Amino acid sequence: MKLPLLILALSSATALATTNETAAVLPPCCRPLAAQTNYTDKSLFLLDSTWTSDTGRQVKLGVLRGKPQVIAMFFASCQFTCPLTVSDMQRIEAALPANLRTNTDFLLVSFDSDRDTPAALKAYRAKRELGNQSWTLLRGEPDDVRELAALLGVIYKKDANGDFAHSNVITLLNAEGEIVFQQPGLNLPTDEIISKLKTLSKP
Amino acid sequence: MAVPAAPPDMACVSNGVFRPLFRSQTDLKEVPVKSFYLDVVPVTNEKFLEFVRANPRWQRAQVKRIFADEKYLLHWAGDLELGTNALPDQPVVWVSWFAAKAFAQWQGKRLPTLAEWELAAAASPTLADGTKDPAFQSDILRWYSTSSPGVLPVVGSGPTNFWGVRDLHGLVWEWVSDFNSATVTGDARGDTGLDRQLFCGAGAIGAKDVENFPAFMRYGFRSSLKAAYTVHNLGFRCAKDL
Repeated sequence: MKLPLLILALSSATALATTNETAAVLPPCCRPLAAQTNYTDKSLFLLDSTWTSDTGRQVKLGVLRGKPQVIAMFFASCQFTCPLTVSDMQRIEAALPANLRTNTDFLLVSFDSDRDTPAALKAYRAKRELGNQSWTLLRGEPDDVRELAALLGVIYKKDANGDFAHSNVITLLNAEGEIVFQQPGLNLPTDEIISKLKTLSKP
Repeated sequence: MAVPAAPPDMACVSNGVFRPLFRSQTDLKEVPVKSFYLDVVPVTNEKFLEFVRANPRWQRAQVKRIFADEKYLLHWAGDLELGTNALPDQPVVWVSWFAAKAFAQWQGKRLPTLAEWELAAAASPTLADGTKDPAFQSDILRWYSTSSPGVLPVVGSGPTNFWGVRDLHGLVWEWVSDFNSATVTGDARGDTGLDRQLFCGAGAIGAKDVENFPAFMRYGFRSSLKAAYTVHNLGFRCAKDL
């Protein structure tokens, strides 16, 4: 008689652990998969490609459905603009009102299919202190990276050293994966993207 | 090295070097290109119709807007009907990069890279490297400076180049797999007009060969494209590894 109760207790404890943000929090890409149907005509979640997170999980972009996503493409060994882009995203995160912050995800996708292994991405997460509750880091195969870049309007080219010349743009997706705002450049004010995020959070 | 026979309707372009028109200090002056197969002619309306028949999600009424803009296959009479404005042997146009890529995958092929396309297109009828052939260059320029004819010629009307490939110039512009790799934002320029804030590693980009104006035009055109765009004179052909 005691066994079913024990299982019940265990499973509710697990449920608690995943919702409690102070416990071992998993990144947004590790959330349970939302329904992968009925994406809108303009949703990036229509992409069929599979990506690997720094936690080693294989996901489709649709796993991020449900919350607005602030996205940039980068590579971990970038010495020039990527650190600034990530700082811009962190400034956006820091400037968000608390209720919006918990409802906004941040996504970094690497250009560097060769060097940005899940372990390299994990090290980058630690180095830049990218919180698990909001930040997803992904790597993909070169063709899939090219395709995502095409959708985001990101231009890039691998150079002879294996580094990437690339355009800098931060994209805001709504919870359905549609591009609602793009901000090209570096060190830009955060107010515009934050006001967009505020409009997205309205019912 | 013995080269295996090319698949039907494809030609083998032997390994060579592509000299990028724009490059940064860290870019190679010469990009080695491995031998590859390239379709002899661009994909036709007829072939593309076969593709959309077999892949309904690429039909005009069903395609997702994110993968092709609202002008996708505009010149066809219907979802599965070419009509009078799209002859079977004309190159298919009004196709997005995504659609071109999907077609290539369906055929077990891929889109050529920019380097591959430029390598193949550098050949004149008689030389693998036609870039220094003034007559060849001026023929190309003449096409680039003429607006597209109201009625597109059918594929295969152009001369065969050194590799046995046709219509790389003079018919339609063509998608390449990495069209979004050209780090120029508009017309031909050095680094002066380039907004450095927008690009990483682009500070030293400069043009290699300002005399190759047709290549300039192709760079300008490619960098103006977005992957969902469809254009009245933009088609594609497929490539394949050896």
